[in-house]
Amino acid sequence: MTAVENPPSQQDSTTYRPSTVRRLLPFAIAAVVPFILGSTTENVNFWWKALITVVVLAVVARMAWVWTPRGELTHREDMRLWRTPSDRSWAAVTTFGLLVLPFILASDFTPPMDFPWATWFAVVNLVLIFAMGAAAFNLLVGYSGQISLAHVAFLALGSIVGGIVGVQWSGGNMWVALPAAALAGAVVGAISGLPALRLKHLYLLLATFGFHFVMMLVWREYLQEYFGFVGIRFKGENSPRIASWLHWLPGIDPDDNGEFIITGQFRWYWVLMPITVLSILFMVNVVRTREGRAFAAVRDRDVSASLLGINVARSKLLAFALSSAVVSMSGVLASFYIGSRGEDSFNVQTVLNYAIIIVVGGFSSIQGAIFGSAFFWFLPEWFKWAREELWIVRDIDFLSDYPSEIDLAIKGFLVVIILMFKPDGLAGLWKDVKGWIGRSLARRGP
Amino acid sequence: MSDDILSFENLTVQFGGVRACDAIDGHVKRGSLFALIGPNGAGKTTLVNAISGVYKPLPGAQVQFHPAGKPTEDLLSYRPFQIARLGVARTFQNLGLFMGENVLTNLLLGRYIHEHTRLIEGGLFTRRAVKRELAARQAIERVVDLLDLGTFKREPVGDLPYGVQKRVEFGRVLAMEPELLMLDEPMAGMSVDEKQDMIRYIYAAQDELDMTVFLIEHDMGVVMSIADHVMVLDFGQKIAEGTPAEMQQDERVIAAYLGTEMAEN
Repeated sequence: MTAVENPPSQQDSTTYRPSTVRRLLPFAIAAVVPFILGSTTENVNFWWKALITVVVLAVVARMAWVWTPRGELTHREDMRLWRTPSDRSWAAVTTFGLLVLPFILASDFTPPMDFPWATWFAVVNLVLIFAMGAAAFNLLVGYSGQISLAHVAFLALGSIVGGIVGVQWSGGNMWVALPAAALAGAVVGAISGLPALRLKHLYLLLATFGFHFVMMLVWREYLQEYFGFVGIRFKGENSPRIASWLHWLPGIDPDDNGEFIITGQFRWYWVLMPITVLSILFMVNVVRTREGRAFAAVRDRDVSASLLGINVARSKLLAFALSSAVVSMSGVLASFYIGSRGEDSFNVQTVLNYAIIIVVGGFSSIQGAIFGSAFFWFLPEWFKWAREELWIVRDIDFLSDYPSEIDLAIKGFLVVIILMFKPDGLAGLWKDVKGWIGRSLARRGP
Repeated sequence: MSDDILSFENLTVQFGGVRACDAIDGHVKRGSLFALIGPNGAGKTTLVNAISGVYKPLPGAQVQFHPAGKPTEDLLSYRPFQIARLGVARTFQNLGLFMGENVLTNLLLGRYIHEHTRLIEGGLFTRRAVKRELAARQAIERVVDLLDLGTFKREPVGDLPYGVQKRVEFGRVLAMEPELLMLDEPMAGMSVDEKQDMIRYIYAAQDELDMTVFLIEHDMGVVMSIADHVMVLDFGQKIAEGTPAEMQQDERVIAAYLGTEMAEN
């Protein structure tokens, strides 16, 4: 990794180049095993599956760790997203986890103490939608430094585009609505970013907040014009479905009426997970290439950025456009997933929720958005379980009398604690833990 | 005139009632090392800011840039980022680095004007984007080798010692491969050894990379030993111009630097 002038003989002993097969093998195993586990849902005990899962995880992590290029890296190897052994291990484990998760959640396992198993699948899907939106929000607010409160406005824009393209024009065609929303989001986002050319910090926040209310007006007008007060129904006849010419694909068994409708948590997971993962990877790639570096430069010092040849105005608008495009797409997904959107679906509280997500997750870290949304959705579930089942807590009437207020209070309290003791949020905490595991593994290893 | 790379005439910058630069004329010869000196508050940085487009001079000023083999450009009609793209790069007296980013990122930002990866290409990480990123990487690796920054590549710039930060910033403008390199006190606050290293780097930029250097410097010793041509400012006025040897003899320069009474003795 470092440029050392070793004699060639010594260099060979530290340089290690695994073959392509070896580099990809752990990921291939991680990708295949969940489907084998999933295909044997009925006849293998849950605990056996858990055991196999843990063993595979350990093996995959170890293989990815060992088969990582070492020594003096070429520039291409140095550019890789997963560069170090620890990065590659975690990437393989994450791949495996993402693929095995739906099979675990779909099993009829009942955890001890009535831990809410069934609701967790819905929570995971919401985490995926929120992670995508929060990552885009973080790209704009944290990474590009453009404070914006217009986030929910773009979720609403996603619903509008979903309503026009996905419901009114094509009757439940979410696949067309997604790119349409991305396009609309990019254009409207660039327009909403125009105040950023003149304003900064708090003033920009207020200007974008104004945009939020304008969008709410548009949303209400649109709703009343075409749908009345009932709101848009994205369910039932408007549910997204897989076109019949794609039914030959493995894993797609049409229902009795000859259609494959995306409904139920398991099917939704396979729609949401790839879209979220791909859009987050897209943003990660943007951040590590030319335009993404320019975003950070503009955030840190716009004068020196402009003297490097960066068109600051263009860079800011580009950040707004990219972020809004992804948020609008997550708006479409949320609309179709939740199934209906009415007058009161979008409010200021949601902007604050996203702010909590990125602050807790870790400011200006895309990974943090994922941690933040997991935190945001799992915590209330866990509190709810604790209120109902945990042996001392369930006897405190006060907690079950004001459940949502107490959830909010605890969230607020945790935000303060995180801001005080861990300003880089859960992503920073994760980095510490990862470093610690990596060090203790390296100490034991050869 | 034809061998000038930069010429400015009647350049006046005014802040409120203060004339930070007052009707300054000057010519920088291609391939030379032009030094701008003067006491604190003489208007040296203001002059560089006016040339690089950060400040707008008063009407009547002329700043012309003559890139090799291309038509002359009137810099006053461009915005700072366009001036940078024409081939005029500069450093800052108090560092214009992005402190949270690592050395590689800072240096790669210097390649922004050369490798044009578009946002969508970058996001999809297409073959072309990878090729361009690699080209940028190879270009900055040369700078890393030249400036001995190899050991700091992945360190956040904010964590590095001041002398190294100065080197990183110098490396960033080198990565831009400008025709005219404007250095605003690149040696301020450095030890003697670090200064000597920096002089070596500046020579390398001038000789190996064919850049014209426009240098602001306080250290008279350094200026006298390396500059081809010296311009002296005091209170926004140009008080003298010529070769370093001439400047050492010039009474107004001695007066400006040492005070009038001492000059009389």
